Amino acid sequence: MSAVTSSPAERGLRIPHGLRRQASTLIVYGLILILGVYASLLSSNFLTERNIFNVLRTAAFLGTVAIGETLVIISGGIDLSVGSVIKLSVLMSAILMNGKPENIAVAVAATLAMGAVVGLINGLLITKVRMAPFIVTLGAYSILRGVAYTVTTKPVGRAAPGFLRLYDLKLGPVPLLVIFLALLLLAGIFVLRRMTFGRYICAIGGNEQVARLSGIRVDRIKIGVYVLCSTLAALTGLLYLSRSGVGDPVTGEGAELQAITAVILGGTSLFGGQGGLIGTLGGVLLMGLTNNVLVILNVSSWYQELIQGLVIVGAVALYKQKRR
Amino acid sequence: MTNAPILEMRNISKAFGGVQALRDVSFSCRKGKVHALLGENGAGKSTLIKILAGAYRADSGEIVFKGKRHAAFSAREAMASGISIIYQELNLVQFMTVAENIFLGREPRNRLGVIDTRRMTKESAELLDQLGVRLSPSAYIGDLTVANQQMVEIAKALSQNADLIVMDEPSAILAGHELKSLFATIRSLVEQGVTIVYISHRLNEIFEIADDVTVLKDGRVVSVHPISEVSRAQLIQMMVGRPLEEIFPRAMRSRGAPVLTATDVTTERLSSPASLTLYEGEILGLAGMVGAGRTEVARALFGADALRTGKILLKDAVIRPSSPKDAVEAGLALVPEDRKTQGLFLEQSIRSNITLSSLDKLTRFGMIQRGLETETIARAQRELSIAMASPELEAQHLSGGNQQKVVLAKWLQTSPSAIIFDEPTRGVDVGAKFEIYELMRQLAERGVAILMISSDLVEILGMSDRILVMHERRIVGQLSREQASEERIIELATIGAHGETEPA
Repeated sequence: MSAVTSSPAERGLRIPHGLRRQASTLIVYGLILILGVYASLLSSNFLTERNIFNVLRTAAFLGTVAIGETLVIISGGIDLSVGSVIKLSVLMSAILMNGKPENIAVAVAATLAMGAVVGLINGLLITKVRMAPFIVTLGAYSILRGVAYTVTTKPVGRAAPGFLRLYDLKLGPVPLLVIFLALLLLAGIFVLRRMTFGRYICAIGGNEQVARLSGIRVDRIKIGVYVLCSTLAALTGLLYLSRSGVGDPVTGEGAELQAITAVILGGTSLFGGQGGLIGTLGGVLLMGLTNNVLVILNVSSWYQELIQGLVIVGAVALYKQKRR
Repeated sequence: MTNAPILEMRNISKAFGGVQALRDVSFSCRKGKVHALLGENGAGKSTLIKILAGAYRADSGEIVFKGKRHAAFSAREAMASGISIIYQELNLVQFMTVAENIFLGREPRNRLGVIDTRRMTKESAELLDQLGVRLSPSAYIGDLTVANQQMVEIAKALSQNADLIVMDEPSAILAGHELKSLFATIRSLVEQGVTIVYISHRLNEIFEIADDVTVLKDGRVVSVHPISEVSRAQLIQMMVGRPLEEIFPRAMRSRGAPVLTATDVTTERLSSPASLTLYEGEILGLAGMVGAGRTEVARALFGADALRTGKILLKDAVIRPSSPKDAVEAGLALVPEDRKTQGLFLEQSIRSNITLSSLDKLTRFGMIQRGLETETIARAQRELSIAMASPELEAQHLSGGNQQKVVLAKWLQTSPSAIIFDEPTRGVDVGAKFEIYELMRQLAERGVAILMISSDLVEILGMSDRILVMHERRIVGQLSREQASEERIIELATIGAHGETEPA
């Protein structure tokens, strides 16, 4: 019977997809390595257990939002509202908790539910009203931010003492937050690779029409992705509360762009369909590390933004080179 | 083999707005046979198929499939009862693997809801084996040839235990030998009792593969016959509604001076040097399999890929097009292979599509002269007989043939001295095809040099004054109109053996 001959493309004149997917991940971790070596040569304070775990613990904040954002972007969407969800989440949980340990459960549940509802509304507008994700979540960003600043412009509420301790809690030398991020990532990777939910996210981002014709309930999956993303943002807000102990309305400022930056640094395509969480983790770590190095070097925080901008443009330029 | 119908679509009617797409159409297929569905674009083939697929709902009529009556089909119902549709725009996710695509939406899962990757890979390999395709289940779709992607679609259909597979113009994207292997696959499927509905514009194929044929015209069934009882001419007449004696307009004049000369051209995608000369008033056919490098030659000539070595002469001037803009300014035009992504802005008006490349001519003091533009469009519409209600309509509402004419009209505004046609009649119905051939001839007679890339051998043989054949990214032979035959071209294109070649 027939043996369809392979095209030159299949014989490797082009870099195959499989390899291309890895290239950006290799680059981002390569950059981390270079930066790490550079920093440890620069300062003896860098390669200490304390500093490394600090970098990792800080990464838990951005990491948690970025996981949700990665899934949204792989599905071919975008979520600009996560920063505002974080903001609202911090305020809400601080006010509800009000320093009382017996309120922890209610505050946490209500805050996460708030996140889920925001995601549900985003998802419904995107799928049922067929609005562009950019517009829907831009609107949500502005609305939620407005709500937060209407409630307060000064820090409000108070975390319960037990909740506040979570941030400093360690298992041996490892901060609890680092373990939390690791588990969350593993779960995310598993979902993306081995669960139909994850597979369908990739399929929808890759080609929505195909996904629909394959009998996938596209709307349901999309709504699920936005619910998950907003819930993770609300969870990030809770992490912030465990660090600062109060509901500060400036929390979460710019988090949406930070998260998107991390996702792109991780090699996930803004057009959807391709990408992954290992890359995103690389992006998060690279950003955290850059900040850490700049702090060690005593560079003003204004330069930090400038340099982060350069990093993202430079890194993506590198990925494009690899794709040729 | 039984002759009982596996599918009967009875008295189907469907209207969109005021337009009656289907009128009382009845269509039935015998089990284990290949049934060809013929008709021009707009005849109602896709509407009928989409009703079968559950994508549209018929206004009236019923579907009986495997003895079960359905008033209306949903997409899920159609799929579950064993109907699979392989669309022309293959429905695969590029960034996912073969196995992931085959089982998309129906992934085998274990008790915990986790995808059973091993089983998926194993079953995919078995399906591909059954089809005789050597493909790794873990290969990414984006890395495969279109032909192999089509095989993956068929494997996907088989994995759904499809009893009826509809193939919507499968040959439109395949080269000769790939088509042969598709036919082999179809025959073995039929032996296994699968029923095939085969949609195509190409009559040769239909005579080769089909058992029965139904012809649709203007939303009505005009004929249902076993293929053995109809002739080619009859089919054409039924489809187009008028007899067409001459398919290809004959060459009229001899060639003139060289217009476009490429010497030892290489680019990143074209590693071995290619040379060719294109003369005034001739149609030079560029034949070869999909992937043989024909498009790459066109891209090099047109400045879409930067030249590494070699030079290109247009008339007597050396041009080194580093961008399509340079090439257009020098007097070259390219009618691309995939008009939907490379040739047209589907969501923009026919007006802006036609005048896009020649706006400079229609502009005074930075303002587009509306009157001049309207005049230009009216002239183009007349010359090319573009069937459109208004130039303000979006290009996507035109049929394939008319879209192609719009692309052509756009280029004619730049008064090119040479035009490259990449698969000019792909996805175009018979009637419009002839019009496009006629136009190409007229252009050649006006002295325009034409390079025509085509996978359709009949077209290559019918239209070309001279034929170049490519194999594995080299030009391996040149044939004059007299020397050329189907066998000769296939031989060169598949083996790459040198024939009676003279420097091209």
